Amino acid sequence: MADRFGPGGRFPDLELPDHSGNCRRLSELAAGDPLLLHFYRGFWCPKEQAFFRRLVQLQDEAEVAYTRFVSVSVDPPQVAAAFRAGLGARWTFLSDTDRQYQAELGLWETTDTVHRAYRPASFLLGPGLDVRQTWNGYWFWGRPTNEELRQSFRTVTMAIRPDWEVPAR
Amino acid sequence: MSWCWFAALTRPLAREELVDASACVQATDQDGRPAGLLAAWPRGRRPLREAVRMDERLLDPGGPPAWVSLVLVPREVAPLFDDPAVSQAMRRVLAGPPFAAVSTLVRDAVHFAGAVTVGEGDQPGQLADDPFARLHPARILRVGPGLFGRLPPPAGPAIQRYSGKPWPAAGFDTG
Repeated sequence: MADRFGPGGRFPDLELPDHSGNCRRLSELAAGDPLLLHFYRGFWCPKEQAFFRRLVQLQDEAEVAYTRFVSVSVDPPQVAAAFRAGLGARWTFLSDTDRQYQAELGLWETTDTVHRAYRPASFLLGPGLDVRQTWNGYWFWGRPTNEELRQSFRTVTMAIRPDWEVPAR
Repeated sequence: MSWCWFAALTRPLAREELVDASACVQATDQDGRPAGLLAAWPRGRRPLREAVRMDERLLDPGGPPAWVSLVLVPREVAPLFDDPAVSQAMRRVLAGPPFAAVSTLVRDAVHFAGAVTVGEGDQPGQLADDPFARLHPARILRVGPGLFGRLPPPAGPAIQRYSGKPWPAAGFDTG
């Protein structure tokens, strides 16, 4: 796991093209909300397809919970756009086709010499891109379940929303 | 991220009504006939009774001429912003091919007042699929330079408003 970016650290403010080719910054996409940042191998990986199906289910809750998702791979924008559309995902996919951040993040999957893909990993970030929780998804069971993500989003939201306890009149 | 005032005006205007506007451009319909003025003002006191709130990031004084799909729902038939049909339109914006810019329009704390969708390119064809046109008929307009710019697609999957701001403006600050 990328220990430099473990809980308590701050995640780099990545700047990458999205699935439409627009240059985006991670902090702009988070926009002050809790963010699930997810690195995946590519559209071709069955484990990723299974995990994305899980996230697509969760997005129906996240869309009303002031919560963001961002998924990152080395797939080019057109491939990410087609994969996203096929999944029915409604969040932003970023493309690091140049592997610009792979080494810095320590997320190069060295066991795959064909795709030079990102090693699967998930990060739950607070509004300042502060790392709250991480999951190593190299083995599928290392990835967060939707219930674990709900619990983590609850913990972060409780910490960052000053009106979690409804203000008394 | 914040908001500004926006209005589409077809009535005669007194000069002082536009004096504080941050932008004001002529609009024409698809046949090139005059279709009034589109104007924007900084946030603050409502400048005109017709004015509605819009995501201010759409404004660009250096923006090029653009095709725009404008949905303005009359107050008497405006659905709640939380109406499932409004939510579904926002989901379609997130899921579909991106427009150059999108903002919903907000008239009060609870009602959906419409949407502005700025098309990509020099043809209005993409705007025929404006998801908000399923809620109320859209006017396809050609607007002059100096009003609308590009705004990257909203980050998903969030579709809720923040403190009554027009979606996709984010943040619970009151600005």
